[in-house]
Amino acid sequence: MWRISRTAVLAAACGACFGLIAVVIPSAAQPQAQAQGKAKGKSVPYPGAARPTTAPPPGPSGPVPHMRDGKPDLSGIWNGQRALPNQPEPEMLPWAAALTKERTENYSADDPEARCLPGGVPRSAPYHTEYVQTPKLLLMLIEGNIHSFRQIFLDRTAHLKNVGQLWYGDSIGQWDGDTLVVDTVGFNDRFWFDMAGHPHTTQLHITERYHRRDYGNMDIQVTIDDPGAYSKPWVSNRVATLETQIDMSEYVCNENNSDALHLVGK
Amino acid sequence: MKRVHLSWLAIAAVCVLAPTVRAQANRPAPRAEDGKPDLSGVWIASEGLEIAANPPYQPDFQKLWEERKRNASDDPAKYCLPNGVVRMTSRPYKIVQTEKLMVLLSEGNTHSFRRFFLDGRPHNLDLEPNSWTGDSIGHWDGDTLVVDSIGFNDRTWLDDTGKPHSDELHVVERYRRPSLNRLEIQYTIEDPKALTKSFAFTRVMTLVTDRDLQEYFCTDTNRLAGK
Repeated sequence: MWRISRTAVLAAACGACFGLIAVVIPSAAQPQAQAQGKAKGKSVPYPGAARPTTAPPPGPSGPVPHMRDGKPDLSGIWNGQRALPNQPEPEMLPWAAALTKERTENYSADDPEARCLPGGVPRSAPYHTEYVQTPKLLLMLIEGNIHSFRQIFLDRTAHLKNVGQLWYGDSIGQWDGDTLVVDTVGFNDRFWFDMAGHPHTTQLHITERYHRRDYGNMDIQVTIDDPGAYSKPWVSNRVATLETQIDMSEYVCNENNSDALHLVGK
Repeated sequence: MKRVHLSWLAIAAVCVLAPTVRAQANRPAPRAEDGKPDLSGVWIASEGLEIAANPPYQPDFQKLWEERKRNASDDPAKYCLPNGVVRMTSRPYKIVQTEKLMVLLSEGNTHSFRRFFLDGRPHNLDLEPNSWTGDSIGHWDGDTLVVDSIGFNDRTWLDDTGKPHSDELHVVERYRRPSLNRLEIQYTIEDPKALTKSFAFTRVMTLVTDRDLQEYFCTDTNRLAGK
């Protein structure tokens, strides 16, 4: 129903380092944030635009809920993933570095997310994601952007044969003790990892490790392996905290999305 | 010689498989871990996709419907806006069921979701009094799941012909799975602002066994999106 303005999203995404931008390329994040502010004709405050030095405040404590089959139950409404401080930067192949620079310098004007296209994996937005877990499926209901869903199949151990090229890929999950290991392939090459525009190719292979540390805190380790764009796999360590105060809302990106018209770049 | 063999094989296959298919159709619906009927699965509308009945509209809403039938250019679906609750597409849907929450995923339209809260909570419109998909709470009436939804905007169409509604729309859906392959949804539509009295219709969904939902993003190819 409601829609936060693009500016606010940019501010939040930059400022609170949802996604990777502020953590992975702090040098790019701030000039771009400033440029965006200039583009709108006024400066926009970006609290925390610099690389974070501390972890975000923890979620509520308590025991981890379990399913009837004894597995940890990851269900619940989780706040957007946030990257932890002091993480290594990705080693990009020259073309990927050049493209990221170009996208950043062009004020992220071509960001697919601004056209209400899916963020893909592992981009996260400053919105909630509700996890709904059954013995066969981990369903992620994404508040924004966009208001859609991702399915992680727990009932098969092999990827689909002809998976195609998808925004969310083909995700299968297996338990390693109390950690759910999610393996995803079959991506298209269209979404950006972050607002800075870190690219990837269809060779992308993502491994996510979800560990609900306690009732209100989830550790998420994302390994990005794409030999087409990065010289070696890189790891992003994140946390998500449980949202206990407010329900998911109905974010409809495509309702009155006037921002795309104004994203003209340089 | 070879053709004869193939024919016999085909006949044999039909003889063996036909009863299997029939038996499957008559198989009872599975039960969830909590003993309730398990509505989970991928479903596609097979009967009642469009509302056959003429809703008993108030004059101004009847007029609006007539206008839309003549000119469908304002169809929200053309702009990749949500179909809401009553209008369905010919693409499949998927139900994911837990004890306290049921989720209805939609492949088509906005590739989005509805949530039915089964944990006994009352309606709560504090956060969003008027949304595209409303606020849905459900409870079991025997083997039927009753889903009650309010809190809508007045922008969705009830079907492809443009049947309108107001923000006083109240939808009651009764979901029943009489057999493995069949899901029946009985809709009761109330809307004191738009209708002179409530009306009802039934939609039948058939189980899809050969595929899961596929990715479909309306905004990917739609030039009207966001306009």
